Amino acid sequence: MTTLLEVSGVSVTFDGFRAINNLSIQIAEPELRAVIGPNGAGKTTFMDIVTGKTRPDEGRVIWGEQSRSLVGMSESAIARAGIGRKFQKPTVFEHQTVRENLTMALKNARGPLHVLFDRQSGADARIVELAGEIGLSDDLPRRAGELSHGQKQWLEIGMLLAQDPRLLLVDEPAAGMTPTERAHTTDILKRAAQTRAVVVIEHDMEFVRRLKCKVTVLHEGSVLAEGSIDHVTANKEVIDVYLGR
Amino acid sequence: MKRSFLADNPSVMWVLGILGLFALGVTVLAEGFGLALLSTSMVKILGMTLCLCLIAVAMDVVWGYCGILSLGHFAFFGLGGYAIGMWLMYARTEGIVTGSLANAPIPPTQGEIDDAIAGQIFGVVGSDELPMIWAFAHSLPLQLLLVVLVPGLLALVFGWLAFRSRVTGVYLSILTQAMTLALSLYLFQNDTGLRGNNGLSGLQNIPGLLHLPQSTIALWFFWASAAALGLGYVFFAWLVSDRFGSVIRAIRDNEARVRFLGYHVESYKLLIFTLTAIVSGLAGALYYPQAGIINPAEVAPIASIYLAVWVAIGGRGRLYGAVIGAALVSLASSWFTGGGAPDIDLGFYTINWTDWWLVLLGGGFVAVTLFFPRGIGGLFDYLVRKP
Repeated sequence: MTTLLEVSGVSVTFDGFRAINNLSIQIAEPELRAVIGPNGAGKTTFMDIVTGKTRPDEGRVIWGEQSRSLVGMSESAIARAGIGRKFQKPTVFEHQTVRENLTMALKNARGPLHVLFDRQSGADARIVELAGEIGLSDDLPRRAGELSHGQKQWLEIGMLLAQDPRLLLVDEPAAGMTPTERAHTTDILKRAAQTRAVVVIEHDMEFVRRLKCKVTVLHEGSVLAEGSIDHVTANKEVIDVYLGR
Repeated sequence: MKRSFLADNPSVMWVLGILGLFALGVTVLAEGFGLALLSTSMVKILGMTLCLCLIAVAMDVVWGYCGILSLGHFAFFGLGGYAIGMWLMYARTEGIVTGSLANAPIPPTQGEIDDAIAGQIFGVVGSDELPMIWAFAHSLPLQLLLVVLVPGLLALVFGWLAFRSRVTGVYLSILTQAMTLALSLYLFQNDTGLRGNNGLSGLQNIPGLLHLPQSTIALWFFWASAAALGLGYVFFAWLVSDRFGSVIRAIRDNEARVRFLGYHVESYKLLIFTLTAIVSGLAGALYYPQAGIINPAEVAPIASIYLAVWVAIGGRGRLYGAVIGAALVSLASSWFTGGGAPDIDLGFYTINWTDWWLVLLGGGFVAVTLFFPRGIGGLFDYLVRKP
């Protein structure tokens, strides 16, 4: 296990509100990591910083063997470097088919001229394989907008896998899912984490418990506790802030 | 699994077929060739309409597919018209001047010829010097190059500045309006060197073809416009198909998400904006020799707003919708405002369509937006049920 992502001493302030306060997290490759914390703990802001949506006021975000700094890189360049992101609300392209959604995400050259002249990018076998993995084999020609909520979540996870990133940032993947769908989602994430780094942000303790992985608890923009789920849930401070006082 | 582009886009063959039949029909009926049932001015109107359809298709790509509501594409159309108009006017004036000086007892020097040309063209604005921007006006190939380069470069620079600052939505629309307004005001000035509010005129007289009757020239331009529309349609249909089309429609629907997929959204927008500007310039270069005159009012902001109205009425996000919208609305507009529509006498008030056409158009636009958001083109969805 080597360190893939190193966030150190990062702080962000929005209009005087300190969303992230001297945050340091290290993610190894491969690894499955859950990040939990109450509302406003800075979980989503942490993802925004890593993916280039938000620029930190101070601190470093270091990526990969070459120790590249991600601060100041554009969102698209960070995505091409190998970081994929799944949003809290499923955001798939509803007017396009499942196949088109997956094709766009497939790891291929992204330059406009390349895309314009590359007409054989369908890579059918890979699309079919991915569709099988996320349980949408029969839905490839359907519009993404017609899918159920859970299926959209899976499609988005499928798009993430299609990007073949080294690090997956997954924001509340199980939100709004039925218990069976949750079990399936856990399987997909666990399998993905065998070869790459997966960071899951979650509210739902039961879901996190089932992931059986290292847990980082955020509170007020910094790390409160880190370790196994049993370790952090036994922590006095965590009980205070997370489980309510 | 991978099918050919045309097999995936049956509408392209339909449009090309209908366009071909239409061109054939007009040719057979035209004054310059066949049965003389269509007057030359009517042939010109139809040819100009085809040019408007072409810019509407470009507008649909930039707005309907890529989500950039540009309210400035007529600026590019006008620039294309000015670029070709400069050559038309210069070359024709040169012909007249050399003709009249040929009988002079002492052969004129090149300087005298140049002065005479400048005097002829710019006498109307009280100047007798050829401005710098006319440096290439003697050469058709160079001015044709400018037809592409001027709109293309303007779009490239404007788009680069706007997109890299992530200006989107209504703010971008306002910026494009400001661009076309500024261009229009700039062209209105006599100092600009494009004859101010007089514009360029006599463009229907094609140097070198003056021995041919207008009826023949009109038909040639009509064919050229039909060919341009056909080629432009196929080009854009190809552009918006496959993964590239997927990406630009995705940008329209959620550009932030596209960034996280690793696509550099700004490059895509810039490419689309510039390509559609170039095609708009070409459409303008074909339009104004048929119109005969171009002046700064042509690039006034309202023209570009009309363009958006045509595309909305025809149906966004489907190229044939843009063609239908532009053809229908612009022809209706010339029928109503040209005195073709009979006045309606209500007894107490007479509806005069030259005044009331805009009200009708505005009402139609509101009705389409409210009740048929998919536009006229959306009606085809009821005919063709996809499995």
